[in-house]
Amino acid sequence: MGSGIEGICPFRVEERKLTDNSSVDATLRALLADVLGLGEDRAAALTEDSGLFGELPEFDSMAVATVLTEMEDRLGILIDDDEIDGEIFETYGNLLAFSLRKVTD
Amino acid sequence: MSEHRLRIDPAGTPRATVLIVPPLFEEANRTRRTLVLAMRALSAEGSAAVLSDLPGQNESLVPLVEVNLDRWQDALAEVVSGIDGPTIIASFRGGALIDHKAKAKAWWRLAPVGGASLLRTLMRARVSADREAGVASSLESLQDEAKTAPLLLAGNRLSPAMIAQLGASEAQVVEPLRSVGLGADGIVGTPLWLRAEPGEDAAMAAAIAADISAWSKTCGIS
Repeated sequence: MGSGIEGICPFRVEERKLTDNSSVDATLRALLADVLGLGEDRAAALTEDSGLFGELPEFDSMAVATVLTEMEDRLGILIDDDEIDGEIFETYGNLLAFSLRKVTD
Repeated sequence: MSEHRLRIDPAGTPRATVLIVPPLFEEANRTRRTLVLAMRALSAEGSAAVLSDLPGQNESLVPLVEVNLDRWQDALAEVVSGIDGPTIIASFRGGALIDHKAKAKAWWRLAPVGGASLLRTLMRARVSADREAGVASSLESLQDEAKTAPLLLAGNRLSPAMIAQLGASEAQVVEPLRSVGLGADGIVGTPLWLRAEPGEDAAMAAAIAADISAWSKTCGIS
């Protein structure tokens, strides 16, 4: 299981940014597939508006906890309690935006 | 007190016994079926495979709140001391935190994890459940509470000693050891221990058994 972050050397800053964003996206989809047992197809079909907590029956409080710890491990970030509110897990778009913010912090 | 033990024997005399040390807490339930499939594959390859309940888990009569990592390490050491012939320990995830006290001939570990990471997930599940119930708690407030009283974490009542040990626990150095992860250069499969609902992976079970068998042969256990 790789981190999804490839060691490629980009030519321009903008391209590197794009690579980072798409690798965070890929890492997050793989992680949700692992925790929620979504399968590659369902994970790939997640859109910004796809509902998570409250929408997917598998997404219970234990799954939330597992996702947070795996995000820390795979994205190399630390997440504080007070950064978590219900909104982060409302949609895939919110979770991705939160992750990108943390990665670039 | 002797704990319930699942043992799968090969057709003839076993060339070795593989003691399976499962992941800890809920992760054990998520992986149990695949681990037992791996045990069957091991027995088909000529080894005996043993999976023993840890005190306080599964069929054990011991209350979970009375155990800690030390006691689990001792329990596994006792299981191994009662096994005839060479024993190979195969531990998974948090199982790697309790497998070093036993006198084995060789160790094999899949995706070992630090205790702090397991504890963080358990505590987060509690914070998340508390929030849904309208109770305010945090990782810090739970840490403080755990210094003096048992804590109920995702259905597990854990003693202050267990929580302190978990928070500081890392897999210990053992020899000889093969430590593998998931992926093309390790075991091909999915991290079933993370799965919100239990699944199974027969191909992964076969890969686990094949890797343990091949490794143990290179250690001169045949």
